[in-house]
Amino acid sequence: MNYLGIDVGSVSTDLIIIDDNMKVIEKLYLKTKGKPINAVQQGLKILKNKYDGIEIKAAGTTGSGRNIASTLIGADAVKNEITAHAIAALQFDKNVRTIIEIGGQDSKIITMKNGVVSDFAMNTVCAAGTGSFLDRQAERLCIPIEEFGDYALKATNSIRIAGRCAVFAESDMIHKQQLGYNESEIIKGLCDALVRNYLTNVGKGKEIVQKVFFQGGVAANKGMKAAFENALGFEIVVPEHYNMMGAIGAALIAKSAVKKSGSTKFKGFDLANSLFESKSFECEGCSNKCEVVRIIENEAAIGCFGDRCGKYSNALQVSENLLV
Amino acid sequence: MKIGIPKGLLYYKYHVFLETYFKEIGAEIVVSPDTNKEILDLGVKYCVDEACLPIKIFHGHVAKIKDEVDIILIPRVMQLKEKEYICPKFCGLPEMVFNSIPNMPKAITNPIYANNNTKLYKWAIDAGKYITDDINLIFNSFNRALIKQSAHKTGIRNENFEINIALSGHPYNIYENFTNMNIVEKLNKSGVGVITEEYLSDDLKNINVKKLYKKPFWTFLRENYGFTTYEALEKKVDGIIYLSSFACGIDSVVTELIKDEIGDFPFLILKIDEQTGEAGLDTRIEAFVDMLERRQENESDIPSHG
Repeated sequence: MNYLGIDVGSVSTDLIIIDDNMKVIEKLYLKTKGKPINAVQQGLKILKNKYDGIEIKAAGTTGSGRNIASTLIGADAVKNEITAHAIAALQFDKNVRTIIEIGGQDSKIITMKNGVVSDFAMNTVCAAGTGSFLDRQAERLCIPIEEFGDYALKATNSIRIAGRCAVFAESDMIHKQQLGYNESEIIKGLCDALVRNYLTNVGKGKEIVQKVFFQGGVAANKGMKAAFENALGFEIVVPEHYNMMGAIGAALIAKSAVKKSGSTKFKGFDLANSLFESKSFECEGCSNKCEVVRIIENEAAIGCFGDRCGKYSNALQVSENLLV
Repeated sequence: MKIGIPKGLLYYKYHVFLETYFKEIGAEIVVSPDTNKEILDLGVKYCVDEACLPIKIFHGHVAKIKDEVDIILIPRVMQLKEKEYICPKFCGLPEMVFNSIPNMPKAITNPIYANNNTKLYKWAIDAGKYITDDINLIFNSFNRALIKQSAHKTGIRNENFEINIALSGHPYNIYENFTNMNIVEKLNKSGVGVITEEYLSDDLKNINVKKLYKKPFWTFLRENYGFTTYEALEKKVDGIIYLSSFACGIDSVVTELIKDEIGDFPFLILKIDEQTGEAGLDTRIEAFVDMLERRQENESDIPSHG
């Protein structure tokens, strides 16, 4: 039996297939590039070529693009990232008490007690202290983001960079560059700033109890792991599938949803051949002037988002997928 | 004479009084429509950038109706309760509007001290003079408006829900469904009942307020702090959601005070600003509701003894 999980995030779209024993059969990490439909379809295409004929017992979606992804594939469960991350982490290790998750535009802390989420916090409207900030600075320094961590570990000295606001951080960093500090010291300073920002903003007032899992795309960065350990004074664990935890959680939630419902709604890998289109328009029905997006599969509308009154989405009867 | 009443800020709490009063003294009333994208855009266009969203939206409402009316009401609310004040932006609201929006009509900007009826009556005379000279009419209209306002119950108390939360924050964030993206409806749809501070008496609110090292002088801080801490410590609800305007100074203080008092009781702060994409809000609400459900299931699994 196999289960499919898809996590459509701001930066990456992750697809995973797991079996009954939680063994990861396939994982795909694709860039979303602002086009969630393309990313999901591209992922399905790869899976189709490799695993055509394999039976998918259940499919689940998560991430900020979870509703659009669910409309595309016919998901059995649509869950928020927090629940998905927590469920995946607990499946791998029952003793996890805290999850530090840093993604493209969100950073979160999740604390767990007796096997359920007892508290969580997410960053507010500002994206300082998230992965996209590091991405941008890597670009500015002309260093591939994948090598960021190694650079940070090389530094013997950390320089202080203001981490509270991405704009301040950037100008602070440029000033330090102009003073002649080397790249690795600056990168270590950035990692320290991000951790400081995380702990005083998202993690403020939250007790960080061991065992701590560090998940999300940013966990790939060894410099970040070291900076966290340095600030917290104990070891944190980066799980094997750190960048897939949301997708794994979605697959697990879908698995239990299908146990209840009996059969899956998943439309199959042939979706890779369908022609998807999204069309947006401003509804003139009332003064709210909602921006409505319509998802079209082979010229038939399959989903609708953004209409506050539900005029279009209810008509398509997908409303139950929008707020589970 | 046509008087414009912008549907922003404390309109949601006191519209019965304002509308009744001006109608009774013989004015024709033009209330701006519910907040919509056009009003939001107008507000953001005219208002100074540093202001919070509710102030910007108020600007939008003024801009929307200013050309249709002879005179516009810009309430300069100074006080609602004895020895308490409200956000200073209310005191300077008329100046903010006049300096930002061009071609303004005449406006009623007299200070409103609503902490006692004598002071409020003085406002009624000053404001009424723009419409009528008949002091008897002003007196009678004022009284009728007061009676109608006190008979009008604001607040939300949903019943028959398995999970209930206290929804707290400034009234204009709670009742402004455009910016809070219909949060009450969203919560109800996911099986969560809502209660707001209007359904808790001042006496009960003041229990925890009295324990603070000094009496708070902001009305909304006292009310929100007293309400949320009482509901949490007495376990009247399963969780608290606080709607906060981005960059609100008062909220930054009250949310910290609440956190200090309620310990690990479920508490979610939602920041409201210009964004109209609902994904961020939905994720937070959904995760919070999930957490409350699972906590509840978990608690019922654990035997109460040993």
